[in-house]
Amino acid sequence: MATKEIQLPEIGEGVTEGELVRWLVKVGDTIKVDQSLVELMTDKATVEVPSPAAGTVKELKFKEGDVIKVGGTFVVVDDSGAAATKSAPAPAPAKTTAAPVPTATAAKAPPAQAPAAMSAGANNWAAVQPPPMDVNVLATPSTRRLARESNVDINQVSGSGLAGRVTRDDVIRSQGATGAGPAVYAPPRVEAPSFVSQQGMEVREPLRGVRKKIAENMQMAKHIIPHFTLMDEANVTPLVRMREEIKPAAEQRGLKVTYMPFVMKALMATIREFPKFNSSIDDAAQEIVSKKYFNVGFAADTPNGLMVPVIKDADRKTIFQLSAEIMDLAKRARDGKLKLEEMKGATFTVTNIGSVGGTYATPIINHPEVAIFGMYKIQDRPYVVDGQLEIAKFMNFTVTCDHRLIDGAEAARFLAAFIKRIENPGLLMMDMI
Amino acid sequence: MSQFDVCVIGAGPGGYVAAIRSAQLGLKTVVIEREKLGGVCLNVGCIPSKAMIAAAHFLHRMQHDAATMGFEIKGDVKLDSKKLQTWKQSVCDKMSGGVQQLLKGNSVEIMAGEASFVDAKTLQVKSKDKTEKITAKNYIIATGSRPIEIPGFAFDEKDILSSTGALALDTLPQSLAVIGGGYIGLEIGSYMNQLGVEVHVFEANDALLKGVADPEVVQVVARKLKKDGVNVYLKSLAQGFTKKGKQYELKAKTDGKDQTFTVDKILVTVGRKPNSDQMNLKGIGLQIDEKGFIKVNAQRKTNLPNIFAIGDIAGQPMLAHKASHEGVMVAEIISGKNRVYDAKTVPAVIFTNPEIASAGWTEEECKAHGHTQLKIGKFPFGANGRAVSLMETDGFVKMIADAKTDVLLGVHIVGIEASNLISEAVLAIEMGARLQDIALSIHPHPTLGETMMEAAEATLGHAIHIIQKPLTMASKTSEQLTKH
Repeated sequence: MATKEIQLPEIGEGVTEGELVRWLVKVGDTIKVDQSLVELMTDKATVEVPSPAAGTVKELKFKEGDVIKVGGTFVVVDDSGAAATKSAPAPAPAKTTAAPVPTATAAKAPPAQAPAAMSAGANNWAAVQPPPMDVNVLATPSTRRLARESNVDINQVSGSGLAGRVTRDDVIRSQGATGAGPAVYAPPRVEAPSFVSQQGMEVREPLRGVRKKIAENMQMAKHIIPHFTLMDEANVTPLVRMREEIKPAAEQRGLKVTYMPFVMKALMATIREFPKFNSSIDDAAQEIVSKKYFNVGFAADTPNGLMVPVIKDADRKTIFQLSAEIMDLAKRARDGKLKLEEMKGATFTVTNIGSVGGTYATPIINHPEVAIFGMYKIQDRPYVVDGQLEIAKFMNFTVTCDHRLIDGAEAARFLAAFIKRIENPGLLMMDMI
Repeated sequence: MSQFDVCVIGAGPGGYVAAIRSAQLGLKTVVIEREKLGGVCLNVGCIPSKAMIAAAHFLHRMQHDAATMGFEIKGDVKLDSKKLQTWKQSVCDKMSGGVQQLLKGNSVEIMAGEASFVDAKTLQVKSKDKTEKITAKNYIIATGSRPIEIPGFAFDEKDILSSTGALALDTLPQSLAVIGGGYIGLEIGSYMNQLGVEVHVFEANDALLKGVADPEVVQVVARKLKKDGVNVYLKSLAQGFTKKGKQYELKAKTDGKDQTFTVDKILVTVGRKPNSDQMNLKGIGLQIDEKGFIKVNAQRKTNLPNIFAIGDIAGQPMLAHKASHEGVMVAEIISGKNRVYDAKTVPAVIFTNPEIASAGWTEEECKAHGHTQLKIGKFPFGANGRAVSLMETDGFVKMIADAKTDVLLGVHIVGIEASNLISEAVLAIEMGARLQDIALSIHPHPTLGETMMEAAEATLGHAIHIIQKPLTMASKTSEQLTKH
């Protein structure tokens, strides 16, 4: 009887482990290549992991709630009857993986090449992974060693030190980073005050999964970006009227149109006027990156925590199209079914915390974006027109900016231009593509 | 058949260090040595030559500097060269004995004998009374190099000498011909000269230490050799010799002209070659390059699995400290750690009078590595209080840095204690230091080390203890002067 151990393949950039949500197979099942074995919750999304082999499931190594590390054996199958396995490719990437995982992390796969020294093949005996440092790279001997032991190719790390020197922190930041993606942020090592524990009065659980990722991202964004928030209100009486008017037409299409797509539409037009709000700072290169595409992320509250699905090319979509996408993405976010690539590539983000409550908030920017837009609940408020007190529908808006790139006056002009559009929804027609 | 995790062949500065580190890492280790523990370095190389040089320098100072300092020496200072040999040997024995203690203390098994591969997994060790076979999971070949012999000058180690024979002479010759003006020839030639031997150096190149040391640095030594009465012949090839009584008549063609010299002994120092023709290395399929070095990668792996090579046999530079560094590295690789040879520089020291030491690149090498604009500065030992008080003012510290970043690229020293001063330069280069890092580190006064700080300042254009022309101070803003 030939048994085959199946290791957890790479399941996404920078993802090193996943929490077992549920098994999709059980012991004794006959499985095919690429059949989903298990549903895992990673710090980015929930993924289904396909089988690289066919056979009969002999053993499931974990139970629900366990954390499985990438590269660790999680299923044992008996593949003696399955000739098909022989031709099966090396562990197929999990379905949600956006891009093939580059060599930096691939080299981590432990069993095959653990003691590098022992595995010299006939033809490639001269190769060393990672390659030795180039003569012109500046890094201290101990930093070189740290890079090697962390499996980081020091030649690929851009040095942040004087004269381009690669520092210890540069290497730490590069760990687990892959060629294409941004480096995994290592929180600054600040000595946290010790936590005074009240024995028996607390319940403890590990910080992990989506929560851990949120914690890291928020800390990173707050650490890097000097935030400021500008707030204002808009008379949205005409907008409310317009939405009421199109409601029946939307319902005919099976759509529930919220205010979000209108705000997005007005934002797209305003950003076109203020392209800086659609840019990023490349911290490593110290360059400002202006983007010619408009992908809008929106904050979604889910049972697992905050998720930010992204609408690609939002500037080229109609209000109905935006509505449909928002509904679909929000539902799948709540169900934990978003794919990794559906949460990537935003150039600007909108948060609608007002639908839950609160008049104003100071949100945290989704790094490397440079602004986040907030919309809040609609309220009837008294206001003065020609000396007369009237009642109108008002909505509060905030724009939170990266002060490294955007100054207060610019933010004020941006917000004013947005309010002008949202107060006159007819104007939106003028900017429509 | 004994089995080991690691078998180190050769107990020189590469091999014994590899063996100790292997044992420290918990690997069952054996080291095999056919001669004395410590190899060439401790027994017939670095250490004995330094003992001889120290003695010669001592004599030289008594004869030349003592009077200036007020000493009156009645009669000649006499040297008993047999006693000198005995003392020198005691130094070597002490060091070799120390290696033995270290190996034993770390539970390394020591086998005395001549090793040879039976196959890529088995070694045969032949000692005086027996031949045995051993196997090891990993082999580290550290069998070093030996002096190159040139046709017509077969070593007898009595009159026709390699460095080994020259260091062991218990009677000094009246005159000595040194064929080859490289660092070994110059070290031995210099001390022989100081001990009163008439020395003739024949060098095929148009300069001494060509390609080995910075030309400006070599000039200082060449001048000193001339002053001390060493006869140096450049573009000169030794043609052969004939025995004339107890002496030898050496024929040499210098710059196209034939000359003959009558000398007591002939020393041939034209380089060293790796011992890769031994031990059946080719027989087991080990790849060896055209210069005789075992082909290795950056982890010192050979083409055969689990066979490593370090030190002189694994390539240039053939220096003890490089071998030791590799020894530690390979032992750690065998223990499962990821290591690679990635040192930025291997310092080189030459114990001429005065000493030469260098780390990093020469001007030419800097340019070859893409540093087209350079800052180059020098600080002379003559402007250093400690050097003056030692009456050792020849030479200078020269620094080369990238002009844009001020990152230090090379340091070349000629002068008193250059060999000890260079370590600071090695650290600076490994750390990626800029000239300012050295200039702003407080160096203790009064020491020779101040020359390093001052050389860095000089390279930046504003050393304190020399006047640098053009006088740039007036034209520089205070910002330029203080910008670090």
